[in-house]
Amino acid sequence: MNQSFQKITEYDGITEYRLLSNDMKVLLVPRRAAPVAAFMVVYRVGSRNEAVGHTGATHLLEHMLFKGTPSYNRQNGTQIAAVLQRQGAVFNADTWFDRTRYYEMLPSDQIELAIHLEADRMRNSFIADEDRQSEMTVVRNELERGENDPSRILDERLWSLAFREHPYHHPTIGWRSDVEGIPTSRLKDFYDIYYHPNNATAILVGDFDDEAALELIARHFEPIPRSAHPIPPMYTVEPVQEGEIRFILRRAGQLGIVEMGWHIPESAHTDSAALAVLDHILSAGVTSRLYQALVETQLAVSAGAQAFQFIDPGLFTIDITLHPGIEHAEAEKVALQLIETLKQDEASESELQKAKNIILTQMIFLRDSPFGVISVIGEAEAVTDWKLFVDWPRMIERVTAADVKRVVNTYFTEDNRTVGYFIPKNEEEF
Amino acid sequence: MTDLSFTARTKRIRLSNGITVLLLSNPSNPTISMSGYLKAGAYFNPSDNDALSTLTASMLNKGTKKRTKLEIAESLDSTGARLGISANTFTVSLSALSLTRDLPLIVSTMAEELREPVFPADELEKLKQRIIASIKEDQDETRVRAYERMTQLVYPVGNPFYCHPAETVIEQVERTTTDHLREFYASHYGPESVVLTFVGDLNPDEVIAMVDQQLGDWTGPAARQIALDETPLTTASDRDYVSMKDKANCDVVIGHASRLRRTNPDYLAAIIANRALGQSTLSSRLGLKVRDEMGLTYGINSSFSESGIGDGPFTISVTVSPDNIDLAIDTTLEIVRDYIANGIREDELRDEQSSFAGSYKIGLATNSGMANQIVNAELYGFGVEYIDELPSQIAALDKAAIDEAIRKYFHPEVATTVIAGTF
Repeated sequence: MNQSFQKITEYDGITEYRLLSNDMKVLLVPRRAAPVAAFMVVYRVGSRNEAVGHTGATHLLEHMLFKGTPSYNRQNGTQIAAVLQRQGAVFNADTWFDRTRYYEMLPSDQIELAIHLEADRMRNSFIADEDRQSEMTVVRNELERGENDPSRILDERLWSLAFREHPYHHPTIGWRSDVEGIPTSRLKDFYDIYYHPNNATAILVGDFDDEAALELIARHFEPIPRSAHPIPPMYTVEPVQEGEIRFILRRAGQLGIVEMGWHIPESAHTDSAALAVLDHILSAGVTSRLYQALVETQLAVSAGAQAFQFIDPGLFTIDITLHPGIEHAEAEKVALQLIETLKQDEASESELQKAKNIILTQMIFLRDSPFGVISVIGEAEAVTDWKLFVDWPRMIERVTAADVKRVVNTYFTEDNRTVGYFIPKNEEEF
Repeated sequence: MTDLSFTARTKRIRLSNGITVLLLSNPSNPTISMSGYLKAGAYFNPSDNDALSTLTASMLNKGTKKRTKLEIAESLDSTGARLGISANTFTVSLSALSLTRDLPLIVSTMAEELREPVFPADELEKLKQRIIASIKEDQDETRVRAYERMTQLVYPVGNPFYCHPAETVIEQVERTTTDHLREFYASHYGPESVVLTFVGDLNPDEVIAMVDQQLGDWTGPAARQIALDETPLTTASDRDYVSMKDKANCDVVIGHASRLRRTNPDYLAAIIANRALGQSTLSSRLGLKVRDEMGLTYGINSSFSESGIGDGPFTISVTVSPDNIDLAIDTTLEIVRDYIANGIREDELRDEQSSFAGSYKIGLATNSGMANQIVNAELYGFGVEYIDELPSQIAALDKAAIDEAIRKYFHPEVATTVIAGTF
């Protein structure tokens, strides 16, 4: 056993280690089915850690971490993307409310490249002002692409109204003027506050030998010191919503949309599994309740539901894209009636089992690919703990019809609800 | 020593009615991926109805002689298995993902949908309304509008790569009847062109017996041949605008007829040529300049994505703020012109060859990735051995071959540029 690590636990084929020099958490998940591996570093920082004036900073910083280090840069022909592309790697990074993740999937004889690169950019990224200027406009174009999509803007407005005080209020990409105005020094501050091994989890999944992998991880991450300061906690709490919030968004578009959201608890809460089952009862496939009540009846083109799982309490959303000619209020009424029915009557055993089976088989399907496995472990680690990946099937199995009825009654109240309508503007209104 | 090649590990069998079955055992996870096709795609549509192949394929799971749409969906959903049948340009693709224990359900359901659809009139009405609504929804997307308009300027009406205007397709959908579907089904759905590939935790002989039992006595029309003339380049460049409201971002599509099919002898050279030019927003020539250096876009890519059975367009797509349209287009075309004049650099070629080798390995790391490669090798008549030979064919390409492909397949001087957005 490598002396640089303390073995913390082993659970369902996943081993957790702590890198002694700096407290970085390391997860090894060997899977020898194919000669490939996936490496991911998850930082416990997301748009949840931003406030007024620097919304979008986490995401813009994520872009800046592709701009180079003294070892990997464009000037000496070792630009990060080019080096990875040369190995045929699937790689990227993304930012979300609670976390930022950087990942590579590549042939298993190239594991060290991914490990070295991630260790290097954890502390050595340039974050230069001239790079920030050109990358800001890249991000602004990303933001503009999002603004083209009515459903995305409606969703942004819904979160910003449902959350008044908590930073889930603002979108991860940030408000446009913040993205444009944030100085490079503020991004650098952000980097220096959050990008440290003791605020990260490194995960390796695929074709490797544990001891060899630990050796590589120690070689590149061990010299990085833990942060000199404690990682600042985010302490803002969203107060209870006291009454329904309604809004209308009017702009160009083809089809009307209704979106509704209810506050639900954080991922670690015992009701999360029941909410996930409810999400599938409502929206998984042709036989789901929303499909039958809205799409089958030609009121809607599509209808979805999602129980968001975050570090802090999030939302359960329902979105309905209306069939041309259908009134928003009519579709909303049908969806709310579905919810009322679920408050009164328990779902049947077969309906419950069907929802569970869809979730459980999905968990098995994603094990086909190292990237599927690493993504789910990474998300679990970001919002609660990686063991959720292992426990989730059992938690889903245990959900009863009474649990589902109870969570609907607990969270799906009128006072806890936010409702938005997207109404397409007619040509003559411009 | 065990032979780990695809050639050695893949079993291929042809049933007496013409169905080809390919199987590869990979017991690492208790799942099976299926990928396959039959030749009944949009190419076979009559000239007055470009929606027929899509409507026909989409109706197969809307009711059979044995069961209603809901009964079929209920049986699949209750196991978490997925089965998809959908029409493409030339083929109807068949795909499934299930736990090993649910494979009998997948095969019997697919056989039922392929052999015994009843095309209920009320289901067709619902499907038509949903398709019309989704066409309208797509018309709100700048990317869709720019691409559609480009194909209308590059391809003649009736070519499978020509996208009809939305109002034409909506009108065609509206007047489609169940009789049209039954007629199309009767003349195009049969076993002869069917190819099915299964990869995963399976016993090949058991799966063959399963397919034989469910589909072995299926009869149907003889497979139709595909004969598509190559589309020549236009004689001059062109530019057009699609004006839309409230769009913060514009989509620019620069395209021309590619004259490239999967079976062209220099296909691999063309693919490597494109990889260096624009396959990756983050690391190809176009991305390095237009995104990384100039910051003009979040995404810029070039692609031969429709080069398969037919010669679809070569396209360069870039998203851009309205203020930067001309700068982005001029810079993009300048990069392509320079590439044609000077060719690929030796180091770029080596990088792309190494990149291809790595990504090929990654692509073959999943059941679905393997199934797709096997299906493509069959579709283009290469045989499974092609999967084993491809890496060495890529490694053997030299600068002269790539430069020739660049000169042959990239033609900015006659490209058609379409910009969709709010100007």
